[in-house]
Amino acid sequence: MLHAAQIWLVAFIEAHSPVATLMRTHWAWPVVESLHFIGLCLLVGAIGSFDLRLLGVARRVPITAVHRLIPWGIAGFVLNACTGLMFVLTEPDQYIFNPSFHLKVLALAIAGVNAGLFYVTTFKEVFGPAPVLDAPRRAKAIALVSLCAWMTVIVCGRMLTFYRPGGCLGEPGILLTCEPD
Amino acid sequence: MLDPFLVWLENTALSRWVVESESLLAFPGILALHAIGMGLAAGLAAVLDLRILGVASGVPLVEFRRFQPVLWGGFWLNAVSGVLLLVGYPTKALTNPVFYLKLLLIAVAMVLFVRIDRLIRAADPAAPATAQRLRRLAVTSLVCWGGAITAGRFLAYTYTRLRA
Repeated sequence: MLHAAQIWLVAFIEAHSPVATLMRTHWAWPVVESLHFIGLCLLVGAIGSFDLRLLGVARRVPITAVHRLIPWGIAGFVLNACTGLMFVLTEPDQYIFNPSFHLKVLALAIAGVNAGLFYVTTFKEVFGPAPVLDAPRRAKAIALVSLCAWMTVIVCGRMLTFYRPGGCLGEPGILLTCEPD
Repeated sequence: MLDPFLVWLENTALSRWVVESESLLAFPGILALHAIGMGLAAGLAAVLDLRILGVASGVPLVEFRRFQPVLWGGFWLNAVSGVLLLVGYPTKALTNPVFYLKLLLIAVAMVLFVRIDRLIRAADPAAPATAQRLRRLAVTSLVCWGGAITAGRFLAYTYTRLRA
């Protein structure tokens, strides 16, 4: 089922990609890559600072004040979602069959659910009428998971190039990690 | 003139390990650390610059200094991982003008960061003259980091010689 979906997705993107022509022009790929790295820095700088604040760094500063950085982290994320999509829509097989990409998407999902968890479970507590200087333990755990998840995203992203799918040789796992012939 | 040195360097055990080792901790691992260090150093520097330009103005600038050990950690992580990558492929980097541009931009960005830090400690950052200076330094810093990252990425596309 999943294998068929992967194969279909790659074929569909290859037939309909709106950006492949643009991305294959001379400097487009490196320029979009540079933007992807700049977005990474924005995201890590803003979200990482907030996570560190929850964990107790700069504890004299109200948590709400540091939270003002988050829109810039989201801006970095949106930039990277767009630029990342441009890579996938240009060379779909290099990502859809790439185990490093699978792990990257999993880490992204964990980071997303984890961030959602912060707003659902802890936001009211931290952002109540009285300024909170020490985050509850739950928020600290969430911050730690966030830092680990984003580091995993970066490592997997950088590792993509070393896990480029080749032809299928061994038994395929849950997800296809090689290009079916 | 550079070539005998490059040949020697490329044949050292360390260089060969970086390039030839099958271990994920060799070239791929060093690259991954270099990306993490970039995120920490450039990311936290960018956040400091944004704060100077008015983002999250509820955070006192002096308190931002608490995050600086992480920035320096990222910087040194990248100094070390960068040297390892350079030892692995010295010809590729040293024969490419873009590599020197990248180093120059990082050097300027770090000098700007130290100057910003000194200003924050020495003067009242809210005083109009200081605030004006800080804003100019912050904008220049953002441009330098953006340029350094772009130059770094372009190294993979602009080199003319891979090995000596």
